Amino acid sequence: MKSSTAQDDRLDDLFGALADRTRRRLVARLAKSPATISELAQPFDMSFPAVSKHIRVLERAGLVVRTIQGRVHNCALDADHLRDATEWLDRYRTFWDDTLAALAEFAEPST
Amino acid sequence: MTASLALTVRRVIAAHPTKLFEAWTTPALLRAWWGPRNVRCIEADVDLRVGGAYRIGNQLPDGRVLWITGAFELIERPNKLVYSWQISNEPTSRVTVRFEPVELGSTEVTVYHERIGSIAVRDDHSAGWTDCLQGLAAWAVAARAS
Repeated sequence: MKSSTAQDDRLDDLFGALADRTRRRLVARLAKSPATISELAQPFDMSFPAVSKHIRVLERAGLVVRTIQGRVHNCALDADHLRDATEWLDRYRTFWDDTLAALAEFAEPST
Repeated sequence: MTASLALTVRRVIAAHPTKLFEAWTTPALLRAWWGPRNVRCIEADVDLRVGGAYRIGNQLPDGRVLWITGAFELIERPNKLVYSWQISNEPTSRVTVRFEPVELGSTEVTVYHERIGSIAVRDDHSAGWTDCLQGLAAWAVAARAS
């Protein structure tokens, strides 16, 4: 288990960053297209610093890449890191799918 | 007075700072990950010491080769690099790269490129650096798997 520490830390960061509804909404918005902090702030009725702070958490978790040109902060989703999360979830989906299939077979033997 | 513009591109990459610093400063590794989309790194030379020169050959889709050249101003292995930057005979600008550990095994790479002469060149470089960091991230994933 020791070798998985780095990956575990990354997943802690990743799921920690997503354990907030505002940040999940920001991720959902960025999944459509990259956007500036100002564009992200508008629909949320939040200040630039407040959104910037949430984006910073997503950045540190590897979910967002930020480009700064003067006062314009562009944000884009880093799909590779999001894939780490979905891969982790997928492992358990497979487990449950198999288990439920076995249970169904047990409960309803094929005729 | 000419304009002096700057840009920053930041990205977290799942690799140790030491490994990414090495990738940034080792010719054989640079050739593997360097370059904006559609650009191939055909040659890289690095004399990694303060005052030492580097050059990177960028082959464009039409076959032309653009050389990026400069010299190191500051080296703090494995966390920081500052060097001058010149493409062909364009005016010289300056690049600062930081490798900051954010988690065990992950690094936030920040490229700060300053003293850029025009908005067009800055926008061009933003796109180029974004692609470069994407390339470095892909290289890190491949290096981890092998």
